[in-house]
Amino acid sequence: MTGRARARSRGRGRGQEPAAPGAQPPLSQEAAKPVMPTPPEGQLVGRGRQKPAPGAMSEEVMLQISAGFQQVKIGERGGRRRDFHDSGVHTRQLMEHVKESKSGVSGTAIELRANFMRLLSRPLWALYQYHVDYKPPMESRRLRSALLFQHEETLGKAHTFDGAILFLPNKLHNPETVLCSETRNGEKVEITVTLTNELPPSSPVCLQFYNILFRRILRILNMQQIGRHYYNPDDPFNIPQHRLTIWPGFVTTILQYESSIMLCSDVSHKVLRSETVLDFMYSLRQQCGDQRFAEACTKELVGLIILTKYNNKTYKIDDIAWDHTPNNTFKKGDTEISFKNYFKTQYGLDITDGNQALLVSHVKRLGPAGRPPPGPAMLVPEFCYLTGLTDKMRADFNIMKDLASHTRLSPEQRESRINRLISNIDRNADVQNELTTWGLSFENRLLSLNGRVLPSERIIQGGRAYEYNPWAADWSKEMRGLPLISCIHLDNWLMFYTRRNAELAQSLLQTLNRVAGPMGIRMQRAIMIEYEDRQESLLRALQQNVSRETQMVVVILPTNRKDKYDCVKKFLCVDCPTPSQCVVSRTISKPQALMTVATKIALQMNCKMGGELWSVEIPLKQLMIVGIDCYHDTAAGKRSIGALVASLNHGMSRWFSKCVLQNRGQEIIDALKGSLQAALKAYLKCNNSLPSRIIVYRDGVGDGMLQSVVDYEVPQIMQSIKTMGQDYEPKLTVVVVKKRISSRFFARIDGKIANPPPGTVIDTEVTRPEWYDFFIVSQAVRFGCVSPTHYNVVFDNSGLKPDHMQRLTYKLCHMYYNWQGIVRVPAPCQYAHKLAFLVGQSIHKEPNMNLDDFLYYL
Amino acid sequence: MTTPFSPPLYMQRYQFVIDYVQTYRPRKVIDFGCAECRLLKKLKFHRNGIQLLVGIDINSVVLLKKMHTLAPLVSDYLQPSDGPFTIELYQGSVTEREPCTRGFDLVTCVELIEHLELEKVESFSEVVFGYMAPGAVIVSTPNAEFNPLLPGLRGFRDYDHKFEWTRDEFQTWAHRVCREYGYSVQFTGVGEALGHWRDVGFCTQIGVFQRNFDGINWSMSNAECLEPSVYRLLYKVVYPSLCDNNIYQKTLVNEVLYEAQHLKQEWLSRLNMDSNNNAHFYGPPFMEALQHGDACEWQPVYQQDRSICVPLTRVWFSPKVRALCGSVQRLREELLEEERVRMSADGTVLNLPADDEEEVEEEKEEEEEEEEEEVVKTVSAVSNSVEEDWDRELGGYEGV
Repeated sequence: MTGRARARSRGRGRGQEPAAPGAQPPLSQEAAKPVMPTPPEGQLVGRGRQKPAPGAMSEEVMLQISAGFQQVKIGERGGRRRDFHDSGVHTRQLMEHVKESKSGVSGTAIELRANFMRLLSRPLWALYQYHVDYKPPMESRRLRSALLFQHEETLGKAHTFDGAILFLPNKLHNPETVLCSETRNGEKVEITVTLTNELPPSSPVCLQFYNILFRRILRILNMQQIGRHYYNPDDPFNIPQHRLTIWPGFVTTILQYESSIMLCSDVSHKVLRSETVLDFMYSLRQQCGDQRFAEACTKELVGLIILTKYNNKTYKIDDIAWDHTPNNTFKKGDTEISFKNYFKTQYGLDITDGNQALLVSHVKRLGPAGRPPPGPAMLVPEFCYLTGLTDKMRADFNIMKDLASHTRLSPEQRESRINRLISNIDRNADVQNELTTWGLSFENRLLSLNGRVLPSERIIQGGRAYEYNPWAADWSKEMRGLPLISCIHLDNWLMFYTRRNAELAQSLLQTLNRVAGPMGIRMQRAIMIEYEDRQESLLRALQQNVSRETQMVVVILPTNRKDKYDCVKKFLCVDCPTPSQCVVSRTISKPQALMTVATKIALQMNCKMGGELWSVEIPLKQLMIVGIDCYHDTAAGKRSIGALVASLNHGMSRWFSKCVLQNRGQEIIDALKGSLQAALKAYLKCNNSLPSRIIVYRDGVGDGMLQSVVDYEVPQIMQSIKTMGQDYEPKLTVVVVKKRISSRFFARIDGKIANPPPGTVIDTEVTRPEWYDFFIVSQAVRFGCVSPTHYNVVFDNSGLKPDHMQRLTYKLCHMYYNWQGIVRVPAPCQYAHKLAFLVGQSIHKEPNMNLDDFLYYL
Repeated sequence: MTTPFSPPLYMQRYQFVIDYVQTYRPRKVIDFGCAECRLLKKLKFHRNGIQLLVGIDINSVVLLKKMHTLAPLVSDYLQPSDGPFTIELYQGSVTEREPCTRGFDLVTCVELIEHLELEKVESFSEVVFGYMAPGAVIVSTPNAEFNPLLPGLRGFRDYDHKFEWTRDEFQTWAHRVCREYGYSVQFTGVGEALGHWRDVGFCTQIGVFQRNFDGINWSMSNAECLEPSVYRLLYKVVYPSLCDNNIYQKTLVNEVLYEAQHLKQEWLSRLNMDSNNNAHFYGPPFMEALQHGDACEWQPVYQQDRSICVPLTRVWFSPKVRALCGSVQRLREELLEEERVRMSADGTVLNLPADDEEEVEEEKEEEEEEEEEEVVKTVSAVSNSVEEDWDRELGGYEGV
């Protein structure tokens, strides 16, 4: 995983709650029809307790309460969760032009298979929702359950009951059934089971139910739940050098897709470690000594996810309580008990090191019955296993190579893994039994569907156009020897190097000169400055030599240690705004690769100073494309960072970039509003008019945050546009871009299962009926499986045809100047990502505004 | 029912069994009437050497519902236990004879007999003590004499209780069982009344039966391989343990490679340091030799061609490796069969690849070839392509 992917995944780990003002509980759009006048209690959310007996409340109160809960949720392990699948966000119905169809037409058809399986139910299948009432009222959920299921012959084997609401796959004879049970004390209890709802297969409650059922199935297949996903413990592979164990598993969801309910399952891997946090702390202490131990420990551990030994729960380490040991006590019920004694009596676990500090995790999960979170969890390192990788491991090329060799699956391997799951489901008798009692089954093959491959784009460079090999999706060869669109000539530039690398610096300089000519860049000799290999002397050298006239600073770093890089970037992005280029000496140490490297560096330097490399045809006028992305720096609770990048010209070759640091409790878009206005002003300056169309590609939206984008961000964007003038009303489109998705597509090429070619668009079957969404496979990957990008147009008053929307998006994937090929997301998103990452990782401050018009962060 | 006991009485009963297990270390244990498997779940943590844990209940629904709570946890896979451990759940009745249940070390019947009709208790005794004949039996049941102290209690403590015995009744039954089947019994209980009520006895009375030694060690002549013929097996899970040869082999290799890798890294970094200081000495640092006490034992890591050689004896110093293998000889034998470990022919040295960085250039491999090669391009003028204008196409929509 690259650094940026890590940052991304960590950001997710934190679980940004959709706390947007005005965000409402999702409305249930289900077509659930009450079969009889619904008693108000039937709408009451059945989450456990029936504290005040329903009878004790007045009808009015009940009605008020029930209005607050429009969606019944089935109980699930771990309390209430947010909606990770953003179901219930219905945006398509508000866009007239895609109500009928959201499909494009361009390109050639291609037959694909997707990692989806249809869920089949018998005709007229429904889930019957019953309200269960006890007379006299029963307090304990367990008791209520026990009393009810004394009547299994009446109710049937398949049932799910959360204490108040009962779901059955079959309808009882009468809408109201009265049953009599007896408690252990011989008390007679009258149970009334009343039908309140008949839920069609696609209702939200049913979908939730399928997911719960499927998790049960995975458990029957002996899969272990870790976090949200399930993994197979029986066939792990190990990287013994680092005590890593990798479990293969699956990410699964059952949702209503365009035309049917399907299971989407993708292969996932869990990195576990067969050492405890305590082991890890010991070896860290040995490595870095007592003095730096606490600091190093915090740095390495905070943000990591751990797994406890005594149950399968995962926690994120938020802090380390150095003043706590297992001898500290906590309140259990009414009595104080030490951690040491608790683990001994509860789990028979002995603590060997009584002096270990405890780990702190701020649990966000709600307590039982929706009560507030119970406060931070204190964890004993000795009983916690680390999961995932530390920064150090990620930086280790060998570990990553080993990992990739196991986790990077070819399309063929991936498809066969998923097929194996399908056949396991199909063949396991217990699984089939579970499914049939509920009247459900899965189609035993992957979904086949049609996609389209968009025509490859023509790359325009300096009045000439060329095509690239569509399979490679890369034009680094094609562009060789062609002049760039616009070049910034290097007249005044500096190159910093250490004594050791003096020779390398010279040869880099010569090679740069050689490659720059054909591109059209005129290059004066750089001023060569030697610096001592220490951070302070590097900084001093920069301070002394970089002036207002300096166009470019090249720094050759002896190692890829982050601190020197950060120091250069901090100084040259904030204090003394100058485009800069860092090169690690190792990348230029191989003479045979120097030409290639130098070419890339020359291109990059040119972009950073405002030069333009290539373009594609954009058949829309007065268009401004905006890309937004965020970076969540979890370490030490730093602030989130938002970046906005907006196009300034028709060819999408010049961009305006702005990065903001989010204040605590602030929504990222609040901070970015000003940036959007600044971008519009910059556009006005360059074009003498404001854009008549604005298309915003919003990346970095976490699972379950879509609602807040729709309800909060879109109005904020519109408001911010409005400030440019009352009568300024450009057409606006907002597209949510998602890279981390579990949909996968397979093509059959020359009889072999392969990745779909770049440019493959999928806009049927696996899309969602309530959205205007599509998938594009834009990159080509040499190893492993390509991952499609999901585009969800959440707002659009432009009237732009879906076909054009798709093609424009694909065109924009060609415009990322740091890569001479097609990238995974539209260029502005990739730029915004790069910018946010640089600020979040290295600068930690808002960059100097003099740089706004340059791609200085490439 | 709210009991005035803390911890709650059921917990105290479980704790009683746990304590017993800790003291007597039975290897094969049956819990009759395991219901929600709560005692089994406790015992799975407080194993104390239990190898086979069986739960039996007549109600299969509750077992099917709860059985997955007995599955191994992730950590059980990450650090396999030393001894074998298996959990089995059966649907069956205490009045039926099942050959699989013979030869156990301990059978617990926690709050079970009072759910049987009185006439069934006879056959229960016959099945448990006569047929299954385990080494020990723990029977707990309510003490009827205590009932007046339970607030608000009328009749029995549970609607399903068929009887509740006084201490006398329980002991009479117990003594008869001992006579008939060759056991001896001790009485105790959990949940004591306070003050002057003390003489009503424990709230729950417990009888601990030990089989009188009769020369036959049932445990040895067990019927483990038998398929259940009367009871229905609902669930069986074998916990990962080092007794499984595959797991053992894997764990050992992982540990050895971890240790060897560390020794190699240590050696490399020292080498680096040395070369930086221009001081070359290959002997063992003084301190380290001292720590190991015996300098002869200490064999250096060294490089030969393209591999770093780590002597097996150095790996053997790792306490974890020692714990897994009784002797260096055994370690050598185990490793020689293992293809993941490269060893010298005589089995004294582990060979690790020397170069960590050989393939850093992976990404660039392809680009290097075509250094000066002429690239064929499909360059064409822009003009001959059909230019699109989506704005114009949109005309139709614009009016809407």
